[in-house]
Amino acid sequence: MIKVEHLFKSYGKHEVLRDISTTVESGEVVAVIGPSGSGKSTFLRCLNLLETPTSGKIVVNGADLTDRKTDITKVRQRIGMVFQHFHLFPHMTVMENLIFAPTRVKGLSRGEAQAKGMQLLERVGLRDKADVFPSKLSGGQKQRVAIARSLAMDPDIMLFDEPTSALDPEMVKEVLAVIRDLASSGMTMLIVTHEMKFAREAADTIYFLDGGRLLERSSPDRFFARPETERAARFLEQVL
Amino acid sequence: MRIPKYGRILASLVCLTALAVCFFVPGIGRDAAAEQKTLTMGTSPDYPPYENVDAAGSGDIVGLDVDIANYIADKLGYKLVIAPSDFDGLIAALQTKRVDFVMSGMSVTDERKKSVDFSDTYYQARNTIVSLNDSPYENLEELKGKRVGVQLGSTQETVANGLPDVQVTKLNKIPDLIQALKANRIDAIILEDAVAAGYVGANADLKFAMVPASGDDEGYAIAFPKGSPLVPEFNTVLNQMKQDGTLQTMIDKWFGTQTSTDQGGKGGLNFAKLRDYAGYLFRGVYVTLLFTLVSAAFGFVWGAILSLFKISGIAPLRWFSTVYTSVFRGTPLLLQLLLFYYAIPQLFHYNIPALLAAGLAFGLNSAAYLSETIRGGILAVDKGQREASLALGIPYRTMMVSIIMPQAIKNILPALVNECVALVKESSLVSVIGVADLLRRANVVQANTFLAFEPLIVVAAIYYALVLVLTSLARLLERRMRRSD
Repeated sequence: MIKVEHLFKSYGKHEVLRDISTTVESGEVVAVIGPSGSGKSTFLRCLNLLETPTSGKIVVNGADLTDRKTDITKVRQRIGMVFQHFHLFPHMTVMENLIFAPTRVKGLSRGEAQAKGMQLLERVGLRDKADVFPSKLSGGQKQRVAIARSLAMDPDIMLFDEPTSALDPEMVKEVLAVIRDLASSGMTMLIVTHEMKFAREAADTIYFLDGGRLLERSSPDRFFARPETERAARFLEQVL
Repeated sequence: MRIPKYGRILASLVCLTALAVCFFVPGIGRDAAAEQKTLTMGTSPDYPPYENVDAAGSGDIVGLDVDIANYIADKLGYKLVIAPSDFDGLIAALQTKRVDFVMSGMSVTDERKKSVDFSDTYYQARNTIVSLNDSPYENLEELKGKRVGVQLGSTQETVANGLPDVQVTKLNKIPDLIQALKANRIDAIILEDAVAAGYVGANADLKFAMVPASGDDEGYAIAFPKGSPLVPEFNTVLNQMKQDGTLQTMIDKWFGTQTSTDQGGKGGLNFAKLRDYAGYLFRGVYVTLLFTLVSAAFGFVWGAILSLFKISGIAPLRWFSTVYTSVFRGTPLLLQLLLFYYAIPQLFHYNIPALLAAGLAFGLNSAAYLSETIRGGILAVDKGQREASLALGIPYRTMMVSIIMPQAIKNILPALVNECVALVKESSLVSVIGVADLLRRANVVQANTFLAFEPLIVVAAIYYALVLVLTSLARLLERRMRRSD
C-alpha cells in the first residue's frame, strides 16, 4: 500500500509537483495520464525516491520514505521500476541481468535465481534469449527483459515510467500484453502512459495530472466518459 | 558467466597488489635478522676496475674498492653489504645515512670535505685526456676553446672547470661520455687512467694521453658521514694494508688484468661481446615487468578510489583528490622517485628498499593520471544504469564495482593501455636509484664491455618487444569486452 500526503517537489523556483495526496491500495492498478510536463514521471520517481520530495510524506508498505532513518535500499528492493529506455546492463547477458540483484542483494543461490529467471523469461515469452546480450534484442524484447528483471526481485509494487514510449509501434502490443497480464495477477502497479486505450482497459483507477496537481482521480469508465474538469476534457479531446 | 568474472578480475588485481607488496617488504626484516653486524657501502658500479657488476658471471659487484672494503670490514668484524646507486647520489646517500661509507673511486676534494669525512687515501689516480684518433689532444692547453666532457660530480669536473675558455659537458655515466665523444658532441673527455685504459682498449677509434699529476689531487679515499666513529678504525686497517703489502697486491690484481681487453673492430658495432651478458640483460625483463605490473595494479586501484572521491558528495574527499592529482601531476616523476627514496628513511626511520620506493612513487603518480581517466569513464556511463541499479535496491558499492566500473573501463580501455605502455617505458627511471631493471643492466654491460652503444640498442629492442606483447594482450582483452556489443 502507498500513502502520499501533501507531496511537493520543486527544482529551484520551478514547482513540478504541488500538494499531491492519494492512497494506492494493495492490488490496485493505477494509470497516470496527463499532458507532457505535468509531473507524471516525477510523481512516479518520488515513490521510490529516485527524486527526493521537497516536502510531504510518502509511506510505502508502512515505511516512511521521507524519514532519514528509513533504509531506502531495502524499501526499493520491494518496488520494481521499469524505465522508458529499459536501462538493461549492457555488459551482462539477459540471464545475468535477471539474476544479478537476486543473487547479490537478496542472497539467492545461483541455481534458484536461474530457475526463477527462466520462469520469468517464459512468462514474458523470451525463453530462448537467456544467453543473449541486450544489444542483440529489439526494443520490445529489451523492455520485456527489463520487466522480468524487476519481477525477479519479487516486488510488492511495480512502477512503469512510460514503458512503451520509446518503442516502435509494432512492438508496443507485446509489451502491453505483458503488463496487462501482470495487472490481472493482482500486482499493485502505477503506470505512466500515453496509451489511452490500454489505460482504459487495464487500470482500476485513472490519475489525471496537470501542472503538478492531481486534478482527477476516478474509474476509467467515468473518466473517459465524463471527465470532471474542463482541463481533462480538453486533454481527452486532443489524444482520442 | 560474466558477472562474477568482473568481480574476480578486480579481486585478483587487489590480491596481486597485496602479494607484490609482501614480495618487496621482506627486505625490512632482513637486516635486523642478520646475526652479524653489517656495514653498508655505497658505490656506483660502473667504474671498472674499481667497481663494476660481474654481469657475465655471478652478478655481484666486484673490483678493487670492493676487495679493500671486504678486507677492512672483515678485520673490524662486520659483514659488508653493498648498495649500488649513481655516482652523483652517493654523497646524498651518506648524508641521509642510507649507507655507512662510500667507496667509489672517489677523490678527496675541499668541496666534498665540507659534507663528508674522508679516510686516508688508498690510491693515487692520474687524469688523462681521451679523444678520437682522428683529432687527438695531448695536453690540457690544447683543450682551449674546445668542448670537454666529464662525469658529473667527479674530480675531473673540477679540473675541467679550472681550464680557461673551455665548454664543459657534464654527464652521469662514463659510457654516455664515450658516446658523446664518438658522436662529435664533445672533443675530449678528462678521465682517470685505469678507466681510460679500459675504454681505449675496447674502442679502437679512441686514444688517451696522460695529464701530469697536479699538486691538489689528493687521491682516492673512503668517505663517511660527518663525525663517523668508523674513520679512525678504517685508517688503522688501511695503514696496516699499506705496510704489509696487502693493498699493493690488490692493486696489482685489478690493474694487471685490465689492459688485456683488446680488439674491438674499428668503427661499426660490436654485438659479439654482448653474448656473455644476454642472460644478465634478460633477467632485467623480469624486474621491469614485475615493477610495471605492481605500479600499474596499485595505480589502477588507487586511481579508481580517487575517481570515486572526485564524484562523491563529500566535499573534503573531493578536495583531497583534487589537490592530490594537482600535486602529483604538477611535479616531475623522477623528482617524486628521488624524494620517496631519500626522504622516507629520514622521516620514518624505515630503510625503504629501492624497488618498493619506486613501486610506491610510480603507483601514486600513475593513480593521479588514472583517476582523471576513470572519472571520465564513469561519467560517460549512461545515468540510467545508476537509476536502474538504485531501483533494484543494489547498494552503492556493488553498483559501482559490478555495474558502473565494468562499463567505464570498457570505455577507457585504450587510455588504460596507453598508461601501461607509458609505465613500461618510464620504469627505466628506477635505474637512477639502483634498481637492476633493463636500463640499469644496459649501463652495467656498457661499463663492463667498454661498449657505449650496443647494449642500449639491445635493450631498446627488448623494451619495444615488451610493449608489442602488451598491446597485443590489450587488443585481445578489448575484443573480449566488445563481445556484448
